[in-house]
Amino acid sequence: MALTTYVEAIKQGIWEEMESDERVFVLGEDVGIYGGAFKVTAGMLEKFGELRVIDTPISESAIVGAAIGAALMGMRPVAEMQFADFISCAFDQITNFAAKCRYRWGAGVPIVVRGPSGGGVHGGPFHSQNPEMYFVHTPGLKVVCPSTAYDAKGLIKAAIRDPDPVIYFEHKFLYRRIKEELPTEDYIVPIGKAAIRRKGTDISVITYGAMVYTALDAAKELEKEGIELEVLDLRSLLPFDKEAVLDSVKRTNKVILLHEDTEIGGFAGELAAVISEEAFEYLDGPIRRITAPNTPVPYSPPLEEFFLPKVADVMRVARELNAY
Amino acid sequence: MKTLNPNVVVRETAQPAVLPPEKTLLDMLYYMQMTRELEFRIERKLYRQGKIVGGVYVGRGQEAIAVGSCIDTLAADVVCPSHRDMGAFLIRGMSVRTILAQYMARKTGATRGRDGNMHMGDMKHNLIAFVSMLGDNVPVAAGIGMSFKMRHEDRVVLCFFGDGATSRGDWHEGINMAAVMKVPVVYICNNNQYAYSTPLERQMAVENVADRAEAYGLPGEIVDGNNVIDVWGAATRAINRARSGQGPTLIECKTFRMTGHSAHDDAGYVPSALFQYWEERDPIARHEKFLIERGLITREGADEVKAGVNREIDAAIQIAENDPFPEPEDCLKDVYYEG
Amino acid sequence: MADTKVIMPQMGESIFEGTITKWLKKTGDHVERDEPLFEISTDKVDSEIPAPASGTVKEILVKEGQTVQINTVVAVIGDGAAKPAEAPAAPAAKPEVKTGPAESKPGVAAGPTDAAPAAKEQARPEPAVHLGERGEQRSSPLVRRIARENNISLNTLAGRGTGINGRITKRDILSFIEQGAPAPASAPAPAAAAPAAPKPAAPAPMTFTGDVERVPMTNMRKSIAEHMVHSRHTSAHVTTFFEVDVTNLLKIREKLKPEFERSGVKLTVTPFFVQAAVTAIKKFPIINSSVDGDAIVYKRAINVGIAVNVESGLIVPVVKHAEEKNLLGIARAINDLGERARTKKLTPDDVRDGTFTITNPGQYGGLIGTPIINQPQVAIMGMGGIKKRAAVIDDAIAIRSMIILSLSFDHRVIDGAAADQFMADVQQQLENWAV
Repeated sequence: MALTTYVEAIKQGIWEEMESDERVFVLGEDVGIYGGAFKVTAGMLEKFGELRVIDTPISESAIVGAAIGAALMGMRPVAEMQFADFISCAFDQITNFAAKCRYRWGAGVPIVVRGPSGGGVHGGPFHSQNPEMYFVHTPGLKVVCPSTAYDAKGLIKAAIRDPDPVIYFEHKFLYRRIKEELPTEDYIVPIGKAAIRRKGTDISVITYGAMVYTALDAAKELEKEGIELEVLDLRSLLPFDKEAVLDSVKRTNKVILLHEDTEIGGFAGELAAVISEEAFEYLDGPIRRITAPNTPVPYSPPLEEFFLPKVADVMRVARELNAY
Repeated sequence: MKTLNPNVVVRETAQPAVLPPEKTLLDMLYYMQMTRELEFRIERKLYRQGKIVGGVYVGRGQEAIAVGSCIDTLAADVVCPSHRDMGAFLIRGMSVRTILAQYMARKTGATRGRDGNMHMGDMKHNLIAFVSMLGDNVPVAAGIGMSFKMRHEDRVVLCFFGDGATSRGDWHEGINMAAVMKVPVVYICNNNQYAYSTPLERQMAVENVADRAEAYGLPGEIVDGNNVIDVWGAATRAINRARSGQGPTLIECKTFRMTGHSAHDDAGYVPSALFQYWEERDPIARHEKFLIERGLITREGADEVKAGVNREIDAAIQIAENDPFPEPEDCLKDVYYEG
Repeated sequence: MADTKVIMPQMGESIFEGTITKWLKKTGDHVERDEPLFEISTDKVDSEIPAPASGTVKEILVKEGQTVQINTVVAVIGDGAAKPAEAPAAPAAKPEVKTGPAESKPGVAAGPTDAAPAAKEQARPEPAVHLGERGEQRSSPLVRRIARENNISLNTLAGRGTGINGRITKRDILSFIEQGAPAPASAPAPAAAAPAAPKPAAPAPMTFTGDVERVPMTNMRKSIAEHMVHSRHTSAHVTTFFEVDVTNLLKIREKLKPEFERSGVKLTVTPFFVQAAVTAIKKFPIINSSVDGDAIVYKRAINVGIAVNVESGLIVPVVKHAEEKNLLGIARAINDLGERARTKKLTPDDVRDGTFTITNPGQYGGLIGTPIINQPQVAIMGMGGIKKRAAVIDDAIAIRSMIILSLSFDHRVIDGAAADQFMADVQQQLENWAV
């Protein structure tokens, strides 16, 4: 059976939901005739027609606003941000309108806002960001960050079916690098559930997105030294799988929090707080963070390489923690 | 007709060729009167008695706009009011008690205490709650219209905002997208000439909000916002356009805010001559005069309308005042779907 | 019907106080609900305030010109003809910093003024955090919890930590529990970045469920515990070992014994070791020093402490000015101190001011031990048991009486070379003792 790439998995997920539910439609810049800047929506216009595959003006705020309006009328819009960086333009619609409707007046807003995030592709400051935390800080939203093709498909389907607004961050570095065999039958990956990518006894590395692979590569190396990393892929940040996090920490007693997003206000800080509040007496060493530095994402390859957390960083910190 | 504000021209608009039916004309008086009296109680009584906390914003002097444009909407149509459109809530069927409970932060209010004042909506009445970020409802209305188009439904959307909101990016993005997509939306501007303390000439360099329509390729119409029949006429034309698939319209209703921005603003920055000028063009007095001249109501009948709405309000206040506050723990509920 | 309290309303989100400018009614007047009752002035607006209920003005509590915080009761309206509105409660005005007239300040005032149910003080469940016993041992929250659950004092793991800076790790305490005995002698802490050696799977945490007896420590025990732990934290302990042939020394002792007995002194081997140490210290005064901040303090007196077992623990009486004593003097002093230690007649002065200590881990046949330095000293010598062993002398095997000496020294001030030279000197003296 053929292997499916991460990007193809997202497309399959949307495609299948559009086939099975006529309320589902996509809108965004260049999603129709062009099939999307990364071809996530390629072929959809031909298949589903221009009423359900809508090329919009360059108006991120109006794209999300229109998605909200349609969702209030019972539709299931999937809005594409051409790059996740541009979601800042729609920040107000997402955080003030979509996120607060249910709480204020009981109106659900089942929209999906999706887009390619992340660095490693020399995109520079405006095509490489990890904007998840702006939204993780907004009650009423859900935020997911798949790392595998299986999850990419399962989570986009779960997001489309979810009754609340879901921000779906794809990692563009993984689009065509990651592929796997996918089940033929319909499935979803539940939002809010983490997955253990590697079992280990010594240190838990809690991460998400492309950093899952950084953690796994480090684990492979450290295994030779007798250090067994457990790699926990959060998959969803809001809500996140607290149970899985605490369970892993309670077993290994040492924890590295790893993400590609910058340090201050990054998800690692939240995890560190939860772990120290709820698993303090299981800790056999300090909670360690490995994140990007507090800078914009730089363009030049040596700068970007410096910026992104690397396998060597994980190995260094893991060794320190192991000796602690 | 000239306003005292040199930048604002209120054009004489043609009386609609066809007048609304008698019942509609009388309903208009009722809803305008209800709007005014209800807001009077809210702002001048309940708020000052400490029974309403936070902020209060009213649309005194602007009652004709929501009433004239919403009076003929169908139940299936959708209305996105802004903060000076109380008439829209009343016409769409939200009860006076629910509205008062909303203002008094009660559990029985439209948002069960989660939000206050005009920040209310109800999908039962196809009323979309607005947010404080002005103009945000403009693209939302476009999306609502988009869904009607997608589903081949002949419903329309009415979307309200003030002159100040037209300076926001969301307004421009939303109007542009609505025009590009030819969605069935009627955009209605309450041009009351002040955004908080900022007069129109500091808000925009064009003469009229409606002038902006041309830039986006949709029809713009200017109407005397203090004449409920004129507003009705313009809205009817726009609603018909939208319902027949001809796309959105921008209606600018010239009016004046007869209060401060909110209950705690004495509007000291507004020249008193302007208030005087617009007081003479009070939409309720004008409509009463019209009805009396046409023999549709007597002076006593008109007074009785006012007395009647006050009795309704008294009764509703009695109930709403005794309505419970939400439980403190309700704070935690309904952030997400709870089944 | 109840009275209705009239409050100062919140006229604007940022408003927290208002001034009553005029009362439109006086006490005893009748007022209708919604009829103007008084006028106020705030930072933002001047308003006429309508009565919240109908009735008689019973009390006016705030005079004209007076400024009060919002929600303050300013008047009371008594029974009236009309049904009074429910009395707005006056929640205690929240402390709020007065801000300027600008609307932009965040200090929004108190909550609902009406009969709002006061938000319940929602007692959140207390986090189940118990501070573990806080010994001086560096460990981790996990280790402290395991120690507590297993009723282990972390002090018993003193010096057994294998983590960075001697930190007691999960592995350390689990292996301690598993063995029910001391963990393997402390290895030097691995350098931070050194790859860890493959290690056996950590045993599962064990909880002792059987019967236990819990006995509080005596003061001496606590003091010893503290002292030992303190020393481990203070000094950079290193121990060196020397094997000494004492065959001749024992012969000399036998020879001298009667003579000493005549002076009322029982001669053990210990005085020889004390004297050898004193002589060597004179050549290597660093052994007789202390660390004081950034300084090394050399002591002129050589006061040698001798560790003595007593019933309740361990005590270290001091032979003062050993450098001024000959073998007999030293032996006499040791006899005297030992006797008084056993009979609990030592004075505080007897255990003070030691500059070097000798201990005797071989007393019960032990080969040797690694003693802990007696702070603030910087070295301690251990004497193993004396045993006859096969020794090689000039390529021939001979039966000799041998002892192993250890010297634990503080590497902060004593380097291995100095320590070993000192010990070599002691060895040299003992093996070549001249009467």
